[in-house]
Amino acid sequence: MAEPFEPGSDDGLRAALAAAGASGTWDWDVRRGRLHVDERFAELYGLRAGPAGEGHPTATFFSAIHPEDRPRMQIAVAGILGGAELFSKEFRIIAPDGSVLWMHGRGQGHFDAEDRTVRFTGLLVDVTERKRTEERLRVAQSAGGIGTFEYIDGFATASVSTEFCRLLGLHPARVLPVRTINGVVCEGGAPIIPEGDHQGVTAIQPFAGEFRVIRSDDGAERWIARRGEIVRDSETSGYRFIGVIYDVTEARHTQERLSLLNETLETRVQEEIAERRQAEDALRQAQKMEAVGQLTGGIAHDFNNLLTIIIGNIDTVTRRLDTGADPRAKRSLENALKGAERAAALTARLLAFSRRQPLDPRPTDVARLLAGMSDLLSRSITEAIAIRIVAPGDLWRIEVDPHQLENAIVNLAVNARDAMPAGGELTIEASNLRIDVEGPPGVQPGHYVAICITDTGSGMSPETLAQVFDPFFTTKEVGKGTGLGLSMVYGFAKQSEGHVQIDSTPDVGTKVSLLLPRSAGTASDIVAAADEAIDSGSHSETILVVEDDDDVRAYTVETMRELGYRVIEAASGAIALQLLQQHDRPIHLLVTDVVMPGMSGSELASAARAVQPDLRVLFTSGYPRDAITRDGRLEAGVDLLAKPFTYQSLAAKVRELLDRRSVAEAQT
Amino acid sequence: MSPAAVMLTELESDALTEIVNIGVGRAASSLRKMIGDQVSLSVPAIEVVSQRRAARLISEREIPPLVAIRQDFSGPFSGRALLIFPEENSLELVRAVTGDELSVQEVLDIEHEALAETGNIILNSCLATMANMLQRSLTMTIPEVVRGDGASLFEVWDDNDVDGLVLFLYIDFAVRKRDIRGYIAMLMDLPALEALRVLLEEFIARVVGDHG
Repeated sequence: MAEPFEPGSDDGLRAALAAAGASGTWDWDVRRGRLHVDERFAELYGLRAGPAGEGHPTATFFSAIHPEDRPRMQIAVAGILGGAELFSKEFRIIAPDGSVLWMHGRGQGHFDAEDRTVRFTGLLVDVTERKRTEERLRVAQSAGGIGTFEYIDGFATASVSTEFCRLLGLHPARVLPVRTINGVVCEGGAPIIPEGDHQGVTAIQPFAGEFRVIRSDDGAERWIARRGEIVRDSETSGYRFIGVIYDVTEARHTQERLSLLNETLETRVQEEIAERRQAEDALRQAQKMEAVGQLTGGIAHDFNNLLTIIIGNIDTVTRRLDTGADPRAKRSLENALKGAERAAALTARLLAFSRRQPLDPRPTDVARLLAGMSDLLSRSITEAIAIRIVAPGDLWRIEVDPHQLENAIVNLAVNARDAMPAGGELTIEASNLRIDVEGPPGVQPGHYVAICITDTGSGMSPETLAQVFDPFFTTKEVGKGTGLGLSMVYGFAKQSEGHVQIDSTPDVGTKVSLLLPRSAGTASDIVAAADEAIDSGSHSETILVVEDDDDVRAYTVETMRELGYRVIEAASGAIALQLLQQHDRPIHLLVTDVVMPGMSGSELASAARAVQPDLRVLFTSGYPRDAITRDGRLEAGVDLLAKPFTYQSLAAKVRELLDRRSVAEAQT
Repeated sequence: MSPAAVMLTELESDALTEIVNIGVGRAASSLRKMIGDQVSLSVPAIEVVSQRRAARLISEREIPPLVAIRQDFSGPFSGRALLIFPEENSLELVRAVTGDELSVQEVLDIEHEALAETGNIILNSCLATMANMLQRSLTMTIPEVVRGDGASLFEVWDDNDVDGLVLFLYIDFAVRKRDIRGYIAMLMDLPALEALRVLLEEFIARVVGDHG
């Protein structure tokens, strides 16, 4: 083994050791128990040179070693003395000037023939600088979460740092088989350290890469980035691949989320556009309804004026015809009247579907209303259809316009009839319905009376069902229907704060449910329908008629006079006010059109009441717009006579108002 | 850190490493005498881990099957010593210790015997040195060659609640310029390890006391 040497005996050797960075050498003579050191060792340890060749006690070896490192070194030396071959330790020594230096001691045991240790020789190298650098590097690596590796071409193992092992979830080690390192990479992924013994450096390129790994300890999936450099190995013809790895999972996830966002951008834009288009469609539909509504309102107004003139005059002529008159003339008048009435019904429907009809809601007993309709229904429905009306006595009260409700039910019944050309069964059933939190879409929770009209007819396809509430949509042949039936029902229900539901199955039948909100009122509020006797007036009762349409005014005035009232007339609100102020006799009733140029009917009414506070007012209108209604319902205390009115309806309404006034006066 | 890892202090662990190092040094010396060639063995570090962890540690690093030379020891501390190689390395080792003159078939024929003998030299040196340094004596069984994966070598079974401890040493062999790696593992139960720890304490007191 190593030749025995005399420390410090050879200047040349000493110079060579110094050049190699050696800070001192020692020779521990085990048999004699003496420690021989060179000058540099003695200098480091602050030893005074003793007599030449005498050496120092062996314990001197530990004298300058930092107390914290001393036990460790004592054990290491015990190992050598006990028979270990190699000594390679790093430890601190405290120099005579008090500075702490890191030393790397490398030594060797020498044995006799019986394997007994006889000498222990070695040298110290000052590694303080390297230690500090290592320390900085270690801190940088652990703080930055960076693991290092070094792989020499052709080897099956790589040198790695603790952080490297931690990042891959491997048990900490300084050397790991390359296969172990690459084993954490997910199936099919490129190896972190390519074993390039066949392909050489090209197998590693590019040096930067990202790898999806399953961490060995906790099974977590992580993304690891690798950066490195190739260094030509001076000792072999091969190369060394030195590099670092670090965790980029967070960055990678962020990137993935971003790219996912990018990928779905188109879809999201499309969704957004579709949503917008839907909103636009809804808006357009609403605008269309509004436009149709305005148009119908305008038409209805003028049309109803015309119909008032036509119906009124036919009425007048009919009443004045002698009983002996030509029956054909009478029949012609009846036909004309029927035609005018149909026209009036049409305008009423137009107003209803555009939700602009003035409703006159009253507490209504549905059971009684249905009972009263059975005659009408039997007349409208053919005998091939069996009609069944179910209305229990304990139904809740509702507050609706009873005439419009009748209209709606008749409409639905007629639709049901038309769906059953070969006969079938028609059921009209009313029931109480309590809707809890989770109701059908668009239906507020609460108490409702449900009126269901069910047929056993042809039913409708889902496509048809989707359009049934559209105005002018009809499944009937041209000329057989207006296409306003269901939309009118829908308009009426919505205006009454209720709902319409429709269920239909082709070849099974259709069920339309009208849901109308329960009212707080009781049955006693229900007013019996007025009888139809003609109520005439007396000349002592003065009525002021205000109407801008000359023909309508003429007819109205004529009718009033015929009924016996004393009538004064005005073509505008301004003239009417003048008359009111000048008139010396009291005016009992103001009958005024609502929509007039200049002053409107309601403006006139308030002005007139300023002059004569107890004045009763009856509005007449073909379409009152919003002048006297609130949310489509008549304001309280407002009386309205819808145009076209007949002799009878005008007579009844005027009488009712005048009498109500008398009653009120009698009570005061 | 698991309780097992703190079983030995840093100094105790150092002391054990040094003792095993001596044993390994003796083994290298014996091998040198046996095959008349340069042999060096080194033990980088020592760890105390659970059996499960030891099995995982091995599987993390090596592809089964593994070859192990197994010897049981008894005395003041009892247990089982294993010298483990990846199977691909075992023929290399046999070739290294027998010289390169043998044919493949001849190597295969004597593989078992050569492994048992090599393992016996290394494990015996280690254990004998340990006993010697700790001033105790150990009795050892004849070596056996076994094959299997990490779990079977460390007797790790899912229904085995008692997870014994393993002294784990990574060992580098350099024989005839061949780089062969292997592991020395000593399976001990908790009382055995505690007995070993007490002996190490005594050893440290002797060594440090000498010069301290």
